[in-house]
Amino acid sequence: MLTQAQMKKLLDGVVAAGKKLAKGADFAASAYSARASNTRFARSEITSTGDVDDTVVTVTVSYGRRSASTSTNQTEPAALAGAIQRAQAMARLAPEDPEQMPLLGPQKFLPAPAAFDPATAALPAAARADAAAAAIAAADAAKVDIAGFHELRGGGLGLANSAGLFAFHAATSVAFTATARTPDGTGSGWAQGYTPKWAELDSAAVAKVAVDKSVRAQKPRKLDPGKYTVVLEPAAMDELLEFMLSALDARRADEGRSFFSKKGGGTRIGEAIFGDKITVRSDHTSKATPGQPFTGEGLPLAPIAWVDKGKLAALRYSRFWAQKQGQKPTGSPSVTELLGGDSTPAKLLEGVKRGVLITRFWYSRWLDPQTILATGLTRDGVFLIENGQVVAPVNNFRYNESPVKMLKNADALAQVTTPLAWWEGSLRVPALRTHDFNLASVSDAV
Amino acid sequence: MSMISRRQLLQGVGAAAALAAARPSLALARGMLTDYVLDEVTGRALAAAKAAGATYADVRIVRRVAESIATREDHVTDVSSSDSYGLGVRVIAGGAWGFAASAHVTGAEAERVARLAVDMAKANAKHVRRPIVMAPVKPATAAWQTPLTRDPFKIPLADKAAFLLAINAEVLKVPGVKFCNSSFEALGEWKLLATSEGAHIEQEITRIAPGYSATAVDATSGEFVSREHELPPSQAGWEYVEASSLLADARKIGEDAVEKLKAPSVTAGKRDLILAPTHLWLTIHESVGHPTELDRVLGYEANLAGTSFATLDKLGKLEYASKIVTLFADKTTPGGLATCGYDDDGVPTQKWDLVKQGKLVAYQTTRDQAAWVNEKESRGTSYAEDFKSFPFQRMPNVSLAPAAGDKGVKDIIAATEDGIYITGNGSWSIDHQRYNFQFGGQMFHEVKKGKITRALKDVAYQANSLDFWRSCDMVGGAREWLMGGTLHDGKGQPVQSNGVSHGCPPARFRKVNVLNTSTRA
Repeated sequence: MLTQAQMKKLLDGVVAAGKKLAKGADFAASAYSARASNTRFARSEITSTGDVDDTVVTVTVSYGRRSASTSTNQTEPAALAGAIQRAQAMARLAPEDPEQMPLLGPQKFLPAPAAFDPATAALPAAARADAAAAAIAAADAAKVDIAGFHELRGGGLGLANSAGLFAFHAATSVAFTATARTPDGTGSGWAQGYTPKWAELDSAAVAKVAVDKSVRAQKPRKLDPGKYTVVLEPAAMDELLEFMLSALDARRADEGRSFFSKKGGGTRIGEAIFGDKITVRSDHTSKATPGQPFTGEGLPLAPIAWVDKGKLAALRYSRFWAQKQGQKPTGSPSVTELLGGDSTPAKLLEGVKRGVLITRFWYSRWLDPQTILATGLTRDGVFLIENGQVVAPVNNFRYNESPVKMLKNADALAQVTTPLAWWEGSLRVPALRTHDFNLASVSDAV
Repeated sequence: MSMISRRQLLQGVGAAAALAAARPSLALARGMLTDYVLDEVTGRALAAAKAAGATYADVRIVRRVAESIATREDHVTDVSSSDSYGLGVRVIAGGAWGFAASAHVTGAEAERVARLAVDMAKANAKHVRRPIVMAPVKPATAAWQTPLTRDPFKIPLADKAAFLLAINAEVLKVPGVKFCNSSFEALGEWKLLATSEGAHIEQEITRIAPGYSATAVDATSGEFVSREHELPPSQAGWEYVEASSLLADARKIGEDAVEKLKAPSVTAGKRDLILAPTHLWLTIHESVGHPTELDRVLGYEANLAGTSFATLDKLGKLEYASKIVTLFADKTTPGGLATCGYDDDGVPTQKWDLVKQGKLVAYQTTRDQAAWVNEKESRGTSYAEDFKSFPFQRMPNVSLAPAAGDKGVKDIIAATEDGIYITGNGSWSIDHQRYNFQFGGQMFHEVKKGKITRALKDVAYQANSLDFWRSCDMVGGAREWLMGGTLHDGKGQPVQSNGVSHGCPPARFRKVNVLNTSTRA
């Protein structure tokens, strides 16, 4: 991957070439340069692996409101000139976009906590193989099968344009997931670890959580579908919350095609839609959620609360829509956190007379954007809770439910929040207890 | 067989045998077999891998290009293209896989990457319990290309944009329709595969996906619905768009959106379903395509995609479907998104039954999987998305065979007492062993006493894959057999995208559980 200095040199060169080749045009360039490496294991043995260092340069050429972008991973001057000329030709042919916004000039960014770990970026394949072996050993000890995936990324995103903007952000990430399955095929367990630093990941410990869960999930009892009190572990929480986050778009709300549209026009900002325990915010300056300080256009990001103690506090505004509506643009931050509450995972179970503990969801899809209704399935650890205790593993379910209702009905959130990989950034969420959750049909899958 | 370079092929030097072995398409190849400088790169990669201790190696040089245009209402919102190019070297050393890739296609870089891949294989070899065994294949020297007449990358952007905006204008003429989004995506894939066994295969695949959706809004109630056109993506050129009814259907799509918005909400319960090919392809994909991927069955995908109910002990025994159902896999049907000449292991593509007259009879395999099911040869389903992706088992086109005769959807509707006719795709979701699925659609029509009575909304059906396929009691004939598909089926870690199509005639399924998905107050 390129360092900040190398990135600056590359992008300055691209912008200079752009100004020369595409005279009279506005010109923006971005580059993402990263080493991505991974090791995959399944059936308790390493199955595949990969290592690639790639730099992708994207150039955008605009003649007035005619604009086009093209990207290439060939960074020699001749290849970049070719990309510029391609974007130029495309821009000349492209119809006008009345919503095109002018380039941003130099900006000041709120710095993010250091998120780049050189040791992680340079980690050799043998270290990944050893970590996989440690996870496999944890499974061998319990006589279960294990499959897992270590994915490491060390990369930097740089932006530059003909109006003088330059921005750079580098980060490393380590994502590890493991699924353990009992040999009789009746128990499955899953766990994950996500961190910027390899040294902070204990692969054996993560694997052990998955292994223990698979053993406890063995020979599930049959439980009928219905509406249950549920305790959602962070991964389950996260998957459902993402539907709500994706719907936080101001334009769709203003256009009357969103859950957050107000009847008769406008948005529902200010309305108490969720329970008062719910606060959702993005803050790339926080140590808990270090993230990219700018959007792809170079717009500086600022800490923002989307939901504040249950009230819808903000929606995402693009630069164009913000200008049209007389609002401040928010961009789309790469990190978001649902703040924790005052409970603990053990306390979440207390007071549950009869309910279900859910590890995670799978294959979640939209059912109805009007109500932010989604469907999906439980997997890798579902347990019956009775009188505050986990009493037995139960079958998997399909859910048909809305994250809005899940948050509205939440009466306790764990204090601790857990980071999970989320597109190019991360989400941080606590475990949560909620009621009247629609587990609509049984799934025979294990 | 020794490796024949394209230089030799072009010059006809000592290549008579290779030319004879090559497919007829070789002589017609458009703009291929020209960049023979690359032979030095592939040669150095394979030699370096061998010198470092690889017992098998292959190298892929891949260029992947994409172009997309998106519009809304009266203007273009995005015009973009991308181009990725590089080489990937895959090796076996010590019985384990190693893979590394680089964007720099030079001889020296090919050697570095090959050595890195061997290092990785050796690091992994300590943790391998069953060494990799590759089923044999006769090394081919060949070229293959998508048959097309109008290269979509050469059609002026302005023409493509004008076409999309003309659709939007027509859609928006329909009272009640407030928004229209349209888009066009083209994907081009050129790749050269050379293996240490002597294969030398060049292929160029072009795939396109045009589409649009209309959104109708009821300002009073605040309700809104969208209706997408159902034209599937295809392996084809721009001529596919020109021959389509996309523009001609624009008003109808707008009117459908309004009709759907006003339609009554479905009453939940068991109903007979008549599924159009534009809908059924996705049900086939999820409930037949994925469960018969051998790597899933064996547990290789357990950590993400999941496993499968179609376990090895059920091969040749499981009554997957009713006896009138035969489902076949192929990578040969023209227009199919997974169609090509050779897979990424260098195996010639083929057609075979997965479910024959209702019974599970085979899986999808690659060279390193064939031995698991005691097969001597691979079925040829290996694929890597781009130069930096590890090739692995990916879904071929998996299709429902038409029944004899020419029964069409009208005949099936006429024979149905109480059912719902579903076209297009809406929501879809299935569990990680492929039992419990739930599907929505684009349009739903109530069928009563052999006739369509009215449109419905809020429809989804939920079933167990086996119960569903066993309930199939009518399959249409070849006349209405149509391929649907997706450019972007995801699988693997890191996730890779694969284009895949599924052909089918309309078919009927009895007494399926229909849900009402509305939670509107």
